[in-house]
Amino acid sequence: MLNVIKEQKDAALLVRLVGSIEEGVQFEQLLGNVPAELIVNCKEVPRINSVGVKAWIRYFQSLQTKGVRLRFVECSSAIIEQVNLISNFVPADSVESFFVPFACTKCKSELLGLYSSAAIKKLQGNVPAQTCPKCGGSAEFDDIPEEYFGFLTR
Amino acid sequence: MSETLLLISSLSEDQVFAKAVGAEAKLPVQTVTSAAQGAEFINKHEPSVIFVDASNEQLYLQFEEAIQNSVGIFSDKINANAIHFLSSENLDKVRYLIQSPLFGHFVLRNYGDPASAGEHYGRLVRATRAERAFGLKTLLRPDAKVQIVKLQSTGQKQDAVEAVKNYFVAAKFQPRMAVMIANAVDELLMNAMFDAPVDEIGKPLYSSAPRSAVFDLKDRQAIEMHVGYDGKYAAVTAVDLFGSLDKVKLLSHISKIYTDEEYKVRTTVAGAGLGLATVFRSGGSFFFVSESNVRTEVTVFFRRADNYREFREQFRFLSTQYYF
Repeated sequence: MLNVIKEQKDAALLVRLVGSIEEGVQFEQLLGNVPAELIVNCKEVPRINSVGVKAWIRYFQSLQTKGVRLRFVECSSAIIEQVNLISNFVPADSVESFFVPFACTKCKSELLGLYSSAAIKKLQGNVPAQTCPKCGGSAEFDDIPEEYFGFLTR
Repeated sequence: MSETLLLISSLSEDQVFAKAVGAEAKLPVQTVTSAAQGAEFINKHEPSVIFVDASNEQLYLQFEEAIQNSVGIFSDKINANAIHFLSSENLDKVRYLIQSPLFGHFVLRNYGDPASAGEHYGRLVRATRAERAFGLKTLLRPDAKVQIVKLQSTGQKQDAVEAVKNYFVAAKFQPRMAVMIANAVDELLMNAMFDAPVDEIGKPLYSSAPRSAVFDLKDRQAIEMHVGYDGKYAAVTAVDLFGSLDKVKLLSHISKIYTDEEYKVRTTVAGAGLGLATVFRSGGSFFFVSESNVRTEVTVFFRRADNYREFREQFRFLSTQYYF
């Protein structure tokens, strides 16, 4: 079930989405009145199902139609997967930052690194390995680069 | 009919794969390298299973033409349930297969280890040789544990999905993999609850009902979820008692991609039409078994992997088995 934490950030509204996005989601009720700029933090969205995707597209497209500027920050892997699968899941260039998955080659831990879209574009998808904070081993990017970063080249 | 697996392919990896399938399904393998030779063999021997290299449209059309010129596409000697197309291209790139009247099974040739992939797929092929291919137990290794959950209400779906996720996390699947499996189960259960029920003339009962609607699942609307794991493959089956799965609609939905064209929100139906395609593109394999007006079982498979990239790139297939 999705919860929303709202915060005013200058003229923009910052909303933090917390929880899975599923069939019962009511974005209109959860977000209420939206100003001309909306920042959506998706860090804590672990899962979104197909009906959740449909509700998401419907809601955010309606905001776009009203002229609201949308910015998506700290997007989880679940959100990035949908951004890559559906061309109109979010408006072009609206994902400002997102989590990049890593896996430690030594202890197999799953790790997440937060990157800006600009930084990944600069790296051309070649994300350097990181040091695993748990065992000191090498943590490598753990997905298919052409797919995970695909939305940045669309 | 001869108890033979006919392979029409000149690729060595297909031969290794077919040999492993044959060993598991207890079918001797006969290999030919051209569609004409294959059609001749089909005409003479009626093999029980046919694997065809259909990597490009030309190869597929050669096969279709050879069949047409020998036994005829609608001959009793040809049954889509027995035909397995092997392709190096994903489903969205081989629309000629999706539209084929001969479509029964699609195998993406990302075998990894063809012998290991063949062993797994061989269990499915063996199941298709039975009178009915129902049942999860036969699709996994013999030591697999299978649990059966009966859902009493649509309101239990999220708990069931969460339980599956936790089960596979406990089985040492990476959390991200477990979430992917949970998502697949969510879609299967939602389809079984809201898309499978039809009235006496086949009209969907809940196509416009919100997917958050809560109602009892009893009598014919009863749903079962079977969860299995054999140490290598995770598999979950959703079972409904309608047998209403439409093959054309299914293939159309599952092969649809929205990376180039936009997804258009349809308000006339409550479902999204996205779930199965998303699961297939994310690494899952499907086995759809449907007996008209009786029962449908949809099974999704995922192989456990050490990392998510391997998980995403795993061997996969989309199989259908229809009984009328």
